[in-house]
Amino acid sequence: MNKLWVIIKREYAQVVKKKSFVVGIVLLPVFMIVLTVVPSLLARKKPATSQQLAIVDLDGRKMGEKFAGKLERYKLDDSSLTYIVTDIYEIDPNDTTEYKAVRSRLDSALQSNKIKSYVVLFDDIVKNDSCIVVAKSFSFRTADRFNWAITRVLTEERLLESNINMEVDSVLNLTHRTVFTQMAPGEKQRNFEVMYLGGLFFVLIIFGTVIGYGQILMRAVIEEKNSRIIEVMVSSVSPFQLMAGKIIGLGLASLTQVGIWVVIGLGIYQFRGNLSISADISDVLFNPILIFFFVVYLVLGYLLYSTIFALIGSIVNSEKESQGFIFPITMTVMLPIILSMYIIQEPNSLIATVLSLIPFMTPTMMVIRLNIMSPTNFTFADPIVLQSVIGVILTVLTILGVIWFTGRIFRVGILMYGKRPTLPEIIRWIKY
Amino acid sequence: MMEEYLKINSIRKTYGDKVAVDDLSLTVPAGSIYGIIGPNGAGKTTTIRMIMDIIAPDSGEVLIEGKKPDSDFKNIVGYLPEERGLHKKMTLEEVIVFFAELKGARRSQILSDIDPWLKRMSLAEYRNRKVEELSKGMQQKLQFVTTMIHKPKLIILDELFSGLDPINIELIKNILLEEKRRGTTILFSTHVMEQAEKLCDFICLINKGQKVLDGRMAEIKTRFGTDTIQVEMEGDGAFAADIPGVESFTEFNNYIELKLGDNADTQMILKKLSEKVKISRFEIVEPSLYNIFIDVARVDPTELNAGEVTNE
Repeated sequence: MNKLWVIIKREYAQVVKKKSFVVGIVLLPVFMIVLTVVPSLLARKKPATSQQLAIVDLDGRKMGEKFAGKLERYKLDDSSLTYIVTDIYEIDPNDTTEYKAVRSRLDSALQSNKIKSYVVLFDDIVKNDSCIVVAKSFSFRTADRFNWAITRVLTEERLLESNINMEVDSVLNLTHRTVFTQMAPGEKQRNFEVMYLGGLFFVLIIFGTVIGYGQILMRAVIEEKNSRIIEVMVSSVSPFQLMAGKIIGLGLASLTQVGIWVVIGLGIYQFRGNLSISADISDVLFNPILIFFFVVYLVLGYLLYSTIFALIGSIVNSEKESQGFIFPITMTVMLPIILSMYIIQEPNSLIATVLSLIPFMTPTMMVIRLNIMSPTNFTFADPIVLQSVIGVILTVLTILGVIWFTGRIFRVGILMYGKRPTLPEIIRWIKY
Repeated sequence: MMEEYLKINSIRKTYGDKVAVDDLSLTVPAGSIYGIIGPNGAGKTTTIRMIMDIIAPDSGEVLIEGKKPDSDFKNIVGYLPEERGLHKKMTLEEVIVFFAELKGARRSQILSDIDPWLKRMSLAEYRNRKVEELSKGMQQKLQFVTTMIHKPKLIILDELFSGLDPINIELIKNILLEEKRRGTTILFSTHVMEQAEKLCDFICLINKGQKVLDGRMAEIKTRFGTDTIQVEMEGDGAFAADIPGVESFTEFNNYIELKLGDNADTQMILKKLSEKVKISRFEIVEPSLYNIFIDVARVDPTELNAGEVTNE
């Protein structure tokens, strides 16, 4: 026990003293803020300045003017217009020379940033819907508003031309678009984007820890194997103590890192008002049941995969040789990210449930499912809680199996230099 | 007979079809310097790894003071493996403390011992420098310190002399002789027979995983008689092989060794030699370990070329 502690201490110190450790601590929260806070800030931000646009109207029925009129409802904070129409060119559709001249003038105005965009409303637009907008870049918001404005103009025109005996405005009121507000059980608002990003965020932490620290461990084993330190070590401790010490030491280092993140996260939660993070984000990120399972699965995922990485490190002679083994591991851990769009829509489907109960995928799969189902009470009546607990049990059993197997291979592998062993050779090592 | 410290009872180890160590038994008396000697691939490292419990024998057993080694055994051994290495990013002090702590020593006990050891190895000024700043030879010496710092009762050194220059070999030999006087038991392996010859009380010659010969060095030498002549001379002495009565001829760095037949006339040989070269030393001696090995293992000396068993 004492010797195990000596190894844990050294491994921990070696990682924590490195610059990359500090960089990692800083990078993830930055990443997290970029992922959650910045989009919500940006999305809420109104355009700070008004933008100029020109309109080319080939229809001849004052469509350009009407379109410009519809855009007037959008105002900046200082209640000046968001969209300023600089010119409206009304051109005879048959006068192609004039049309071409105007287009090329407007194109150069775009190039020199005198206008942000221009729209062309073609002849007989009411019938054929033909219109284009030309710009160097579009924001979703502006595109949406332009679409709304032209739709509104054309709808009004069509209603006037039709024989419906009603006020145009009242028809429009009757036909406006309706949107569902998404709610979770228990009067909680839900937001598809937030659920998606929140789930991804947890999976990415597990993914980063498992792959990142797993590879640090593997590299350390390969290096100690190549520099022949391992043999000196196993003359003092058992190979199993050596392996366990490395896994625990690095695990504590990763928990230190995650611990610091949690503190930063709680800090952000405290000041969420100032940072204008919406309540649904905090609901997603600070659900105690979710956090509990997240920490459990983070630890289990780390134990499972770091043991496998230790196994690989003991078998191969160089990092290059290890590449072939790492790819399937990365894919397994990443699968939930690849399938996330599906899982978010069908978190309870048979496929999602089965995949999340395969121990090698449980840590990430179950966390992304938990995030979507966001259980409110720790009760086995809730299938996701029950499945999460079963997942924990299955993963623990798998870890024990993997540790046993790795222990057998590790003690032989670390003393084998030279040629990479074949699978039958590795199997034979179990008996040595 | 001295009290036995370490005893190996017919251990055997195979890797697939290859027999690395075959039915090997040996007894290391307490407080002695014991050499396991043989060419590369003879099974020395495998034997030592089995003693260290790094690998398990297929059959047979290793006994320490008559008992199976318990968990404390690793703490009383100082082990220098053939393949050596230290953590490059740690300082000398950190490395020494780390390995001592792995042997169950307390940090506080070790700290005061570090300086005398480093001074002796001419490494004192590097105490707080990183291992990677040391030259290869210096790292070997540091490794030796990490082997000795916890005051082991049993020292096991695999290919002790590899990577050391003659001055450091002398230094380490002296330290080992001091340890022996304190009652420490020392077991080492080497393929350099001449070094072993000067240092060992007891030897075990092994070849192809099997014991060829073992026992007290002095007894072995006597047993193999005084039918050997060493000659130092100026000029090429290769013709000596053709002198009647000379059975075998071995050339060393600055002398030749002749093994004589049963009825050889030493005076006649001296006379023949002095006719062609200028002789500065002519001595009837015990045979060298190298020649004994060749003799007993019945190996062809040409098989034992560079990298295998050597004289020097």
